Amino acid sequence: MPEIRVTPLGAGQDVGRSCILVSIAGKNVMLDCGMHMGFNDDRRFPDFSYITQNGRLTDFLDCVIISHFHLDHCGALPYFSEMVGYDGPIYMTHPTQAICPILLEDYRKIAVDKKGEANFFTSQMIKDCMKKVVAVHLHQTVQVDDELEIKAYYAGHVLGAAMFQIKVGSESVVYTGDYNMTPDRHLGAAWIDKCRPNLLITESTYATTIRDSKRCRERDFLKKVHETVERGGKVLIPVFALGRAQELCILLETFWERMNLKVPIYFSTGLTEKANHYYKLFITWTNQKIRKTFVQRNMFEFKHIKAFDRAFADNPGPMVVFATPGMLHAGQSLQIFRKWAGNEKNMVIMPGYCVQGTVGHKILSGQRKLEMEGRQVLEVKMQVEYMSFSAHADAKGIMQLVGQAEPERVLLVHGEAKKMEFLRQKIEQEFRVSCYMPANGETVTLPTSPSIPVGISLGLLKREMAQGLLPEAKKPRLLHGTLVMKDSSFRLVSSEQALKELGLAEHQLRFTCRVHLQDTRKEQETALRVYSHLKSTLKDHCVQHLPDGSVTVESILIQAAAHSEDPGTKVLLVSWTYQDEELGSFLTALLKKGLPQAPS
Amino acid sequence: MDGQTRLGMLHRLLVLFWPPPQTESVILSPLSFSIYRGHKIQHSDWHKEPLRIMDPECSRLLPALCAVLADPRQPVADDTCLEKLLDWFKKVTEAESSLLLLQENPCLVELLSHVLRPQDVSPRVLSFSLRLAGTFAAQEDCFQYLQQGDLLLGLFGEAGTLGWAAWNVPTVRSGWIQGLSSLAQHPSALHFLADSGAVDTVFSLQGDPSLFVASAASQLLVHILALSMHGEAVEHHSPQGSAWPTCAQKIVGHVEESLRSTAAPQVTQALNVLTTTFGRCHSPWTEVLWEQLSPLVACLLERDPIPAGHSLVDLLLSVARSPVFSSADCGLWETVAQTLSRLSPTQAGPLALGTLKLQHCPQALRTQAFGILLQPLACVLKATTQAPTSPGLLDGTLGGSMTVDALLSSKSACAGLLCQTLAQLEELHPLPHRPSPWPQASLLEAVVTILQLCDGSAAPGSSVGGRLCGTLAGCVRVQRAALDFLGTLSQGTSPQELVPQVFAVLLEYLESPDSSPTVLKKAFQATLGWLLSSPKTPGCSDFGPHIPLFLGELFPVLQKRLCSPCWEVRDSALEFFTNLSRHWGGQADFRQALFSSEAPTLTQQLLRDPESYVRASAVTAMAQLSSQGLHATLASPEHPEAEQGLLREFLNILSADSEGFPRRAVVQVFTQWLRDGHAEVARDTEQFVATVLQVVSQDLDWEVRVQGLELAQVFLTQKLGQPGHCPYTVALPEAPLPRLRPEVLRTLCQPWLLEFAFRALFDCDRPVAQKACNLLLFLRDKTAPYAGTQETGDSPHLDSMEAALQRWQAGEQGQPLGDPEPEAMLAVLRSLDLEGLQGRLAESSDHVEKSPQSLLQDMLATVDILEENEADCY
Repeated sequence: MPEIRVTPLGAGQDVGRSCILVSIAGKNVMLDCGMHMGFNDDRRFPDFSYITQNGRLTDFLDCVIISHFHLDHCGALPYFSEMVGYDGPIYMTHPTQAICPILLEDYRKIAVDKKGEANFFTSQMIKDCMKKVVAVHLHQTVQVDDELEIKAYYAGHVLGAAMFQIKVGSESVVYTGDYNMTPDRHLGAAWIDKCRPNLLITESTYATTIRDSKRCRERDFLKKVHETVERGGKVLIPVFALGRAQELCILLETFWERMNLKVPIYFSTGLTEKANHYYKLFITWTNQKIRKTFVQRNMFEFKHIKAFDRAFADNPGPMVVFATPGMLHAGQSLQIFRKWAGNEKNMVIMPGYCVQGTVGHKILSGQRKLEMEGRQVLEVKMQVEYMSFSAHADAKGIMQLVGQAEPERVLLVHGEAKKMEFLRQKIEQEFRVSCYMPANGETVTLPTSPSIPVGISLGLLKREMAQGLLPEAKKPRLLHGTLVMKDSSFRLVSSEQALKELGLAEHQLRFTCRVHLQDTRKEQETALRVYSHLKSTLKDHCVQHLPDGSVTVESILIQAAAHSEDPGTKVLLVSWTYQDEELGSFLTALLKKGLPQAPS
Repeated sequence: MDGQTRLGMLHRLLVLFWPPPQTESVILSPLSFSIYRGHKIQHSDWHKEPLRIMDPECSRLLPALCAVLADPRQPVADDTCLEKLLDWFKKVTEAESSLLLLQENPCLVELLSHVLRPQDVSPRVLSFSLRLAGTFAAQEDCFQYLQQGDLLLGLFGEAGTLGWAAWNVPTVRSGWIQGLSSLAQHPSALHFLADSGAVDTVFSLQGDPSLFVASAASQLLVHILALSMHGEAVEHHSPQGSAWPTCAQKIVGHVEESLRSTAAPQVTQALNVLTTTFGRCHSPWTEVLWEQLSPLVACLLERDPIPAGHSLVDLLLSVARSPVFSSADCGLWETVAQTLSRLSPTQAGPLALGTLKLQHCPQALRTQAFGILLQPLACVLKATTQAPTSPGLLDGTLGGSMTVDALLSSKSACAGLLCQTLAQLEELHPLPHRPSPWPQASLLEAVVTILQLCDGSAAPGSSVGGRLCGTLAGCVRVQRAALDFLGTLSQGTSPQELVPQVFAVLLEYLESPDSSPTVLKKAFQATLGWLLSSPKTPGCSDFGPHIPLFLGELFPVLQKRLCSPCWEVRDSALEFFTNLSRHWGGQADFRQALFSSEAPTLTQQLLRDPESYVRASAVTAMAQLSSQGLHATLASPEHPEAEQGLLREFLNILSADSEGFPRRAVVQVFTQWLRDGHAEVARDTEQFVATVLQVVSQDLDWEVRVQGLELAQVFLTQKLGQPGHCPYTVALPEAPLPRLRPEVLRTLCQPWLLEFAFRALFDCDRPVAQKACNLLLFLRDKTAPYAGTQETGDSPHLDSMEAALQRWQAGEQGQPLGDPEPEAMLAVLRSLDLEGLQGRLAESSDHVEKSPQSLLQDMLATVDILEENEADCY
């Protein structure tokens, strides 16, 4: 029985790190290879030992597909390819291929810098891993091998994010990765055609949420920044080098321009240049507005945002600084935070999620006295704001996508169990399809019925048409014919044509049966009685009494004979072709009941 | 103010030396460390004090945390928190008495008791509690303590967790198993497992839908079996029977039953348990176990199809590797031989490889196993060779029509089998006890043929060969595997007549426009392997006849690849070129081929490549050419100052490149040049180092700054290692210490050098500060014997140093150091507690955040605000 098997090694009822194994028509594909930022040991990576049990990784896995550049989707890739030993192809979009190594390198530096970790992938490993990547274009069908093909669709969320359709023969799975169904300031909305996959694997981060308009959050953000600088305070925005940072930069740049503000905005580290370079390079991946305005002005060439120098942090007066890393766990953002934390006029805005243990997590949970190295205590007087700009589809968006793709089944990943459960029921109710939500390590096995294309002969079709029934597109119709399998092609033809094509002679197949009747009369009289009985019973059928004394009903032949041992018993010999099997059975049953009493 | 007072001020200034000073928000606690030398209580000492892991602060926070965990209305913040909490409890219980811990912190037992009320607990907390209970109960006295209240039975018994709705959640089942695994450490635990019916539940969990749970269940069974057999005196050949402990009997009985089952999953489970058992347990009882079970295992081979082939292979290898079986004849080899002949080629491959890796194994079996690995390649050779005159891989005994069928059944089956075989042979090749004789020539022929089949250049002589050609044409997977193996085969003695064929096929791949970037990379790697292993002509420093010809053809291809539109290809070509130059830079044939090519010019152009990886590789390649004098080609009449130009270009990259990789590559090259005494550097070393460090100090990439410090370290080492400063003189206490020559002292204490090091000491990136600290320690130690006798006088230099340090400490750029006296510099150096600082820097910068207090505080702090932020991620 053909089947699709899905096993999440990560993102099964959690949002930690995505890594989903899909087995479809004998092909094994890994969807995303993410890292959990909340762990400092090997637990940050998916447990690949469950795949290595199956022999060599490169033999087992046909390919790895990365949906987008966020580390919870690609962070374990160099580990997987250079340390665990996967040597096969890795697919991602062009922007993801360009940006992924920047973030991996950024994280590597933090891990080594902050924790002095020796057992971490190196720069060389990141490069070697990226060399294994095959970049794909949107809507381009890529043949991984003769049987397996993949196709990317636009997912919004972040630059280069894609949903992937994985197809083997007529079976297919769509994996959404993270996506956003509403356009934001720099990206468009996710889109997929009505591809009717056997299975749609969708993220469900906001499974129960109907998100307010992002515009409101943006307005709120600008208001807070503006108010702080107006009263002479400094604003620190810890960000990761790419993604949210660019979105917020556009936001502030436009606002500064509109309000004619002079307060300096800085972006720390040299990463902006490269990040903006990629946004310029992949302008076709941004939304329509940015592409339109590109002709007059490139949105990513910022007039108000300047490179940051360490000494600027001590400058008097207001300023806004974007600094990395985003969770205030090391480097420049933490250093600036320490300088500014003591002044209540200042503000730190956390635009994203922070893992436990980081200073970002502590201040977001309301801690105001932070113990630092050497048992010093840092008192946080500055204002702390949390603004979520994460771009995921909300419940409405997820339903919209399911409606668009029209899958046979849905499987939820990248969400919390409770919320998934709610969405699961909603999907099952609304779309009447099964919906699954496996936990990490749990395998969902879905039987599939692969459709095999069969050609039909014109003759057979014409014969059907001749019967006066016009075919209807959506209504299944029964059609008799002979299936000829030749040279790995399938054709349905009339049996005559099949015989002719294959050079075979027709065989007649007849069923026979003996029925014993108590009748002392002569054979001819018994036959006549049978004729009369059948004539009166089977009014719609053609019942004949032939000159040789036998009786026929359609193709059924009945002959009466004397019993060799018992003269009081007559034997009826009934035979019929397989076409009249039903009628033959009926007649035999009828005759077995005996003949009606004849008038003596 | 005298010198001492000034230094005292400087000391006070440096109290907050590390971490960088805070603004008014920092409140120094009484325990804050000091940088003063001579102070006995330092942070590093404090850290080394033997402490109880469960400190009072954590004890104080625990009740509140337990209350939060027990409260179903309070969802747990982060899925990592409970994991980390458990890590910490494990650490605590490894060092301290669990019983004492529970008695001192009754809230823990309360939490465990609370979770017995299923309606009140979230699955995550329940799972955590099961694991926690197991951790505590690992110590027998604590186990008894928990048993008194029937707590363990409540948690792990049939009447407990198993009956609850939460049991359907895999995390809970996983927690249950892990809890039991932890507690199964002592005889009391064994009784508990037997009495509570837990073992039966573990049996059923082997077939759990969750991979994690199923795997953990198998592991637990092995653990229980090993524990129950621990210390059991088993007669060498005594049957298992009733002499074994009940628990062990039960498990073995279950395994036997599973092996007899007709359901493949059950057979797989049994085989997995046995594989782990023989892998982990090496006591005599395992031999008895194998004697008892091997007939059942052998029976599996009689079924058609053989169930769980993969697991069967694992088991046989696990048994074969066990030291218990190394000498005994237990019918194992017979079973292995039978399995090899019964399994399909794909399934038998791993068993064949594993068998060949064994040290002790009958020769006949080795021959059989090697035959299995060679068979697919032999088929390829047979199918493609017109007149099989060569000895062939299997000496004409190729009986595997099945292999040919398997090979040709479908494209993916063919690719799969060939890739697997090539990888297995590649693994076998370097082993000292690989099969002998090793058919190097035939293997080479086979792999070259495969590569030709893949790129369509083979001319098969039979219809089977033609089909194979059609199947493999353009198959990147097989190309990659074959090129890897071809590269490995370069490490062996190959017949000279085959070498041209190898180079020809490699050249085909390097030239082919169809070669993908990954294939090209592997082709470059294989080419490098073959070139470097090529034998030299005896008595002559140059190469044999093939190489010059090949190089003549290689360079045009290399040039083409250096201009590839794919950065991956340009980079692989540069890496190849660098490695080749490194090894062959001195060879006349190579130099000749290189000089007549455009490769050096193209490499130089790649210094301005749009891709930073390529720029970095180009830097390394150009540096290599320059070190070997190969860069001189550019010093033609058109480029008279090519070398100087290169230095300038590198400096330009270092100061202007927007990305870290090329800048890092430049500093690495400079450091190497300094070590090697490169002509450009030797001209004016001080000026060179000063210029580089000045640029490096401004770099935003901390790794560049660290490498700058490495350069400084090399410079200092070279200066201090000059004649007259033999390091061994230090070891002679009687010998009078020679004074450092003033000019050397002045060189060492160059303001630009020390300014760079002192600034780096304040760097916000820990590795930079760490490296700077080590550098200054080195300098201090090296100069201490010489310069320590003279007190620093009242000097204006000290003022400026004090001011400069203050500014740097505050994270400002500030003014440069000026030109202070070397003695003043050394005085500052000696006054610092660099050892203490080194100790603190050795800790990861998040050690405070990682502390248990921090974890407990975070978990408690998250409670009320969770709803607000919980849904967010990236």
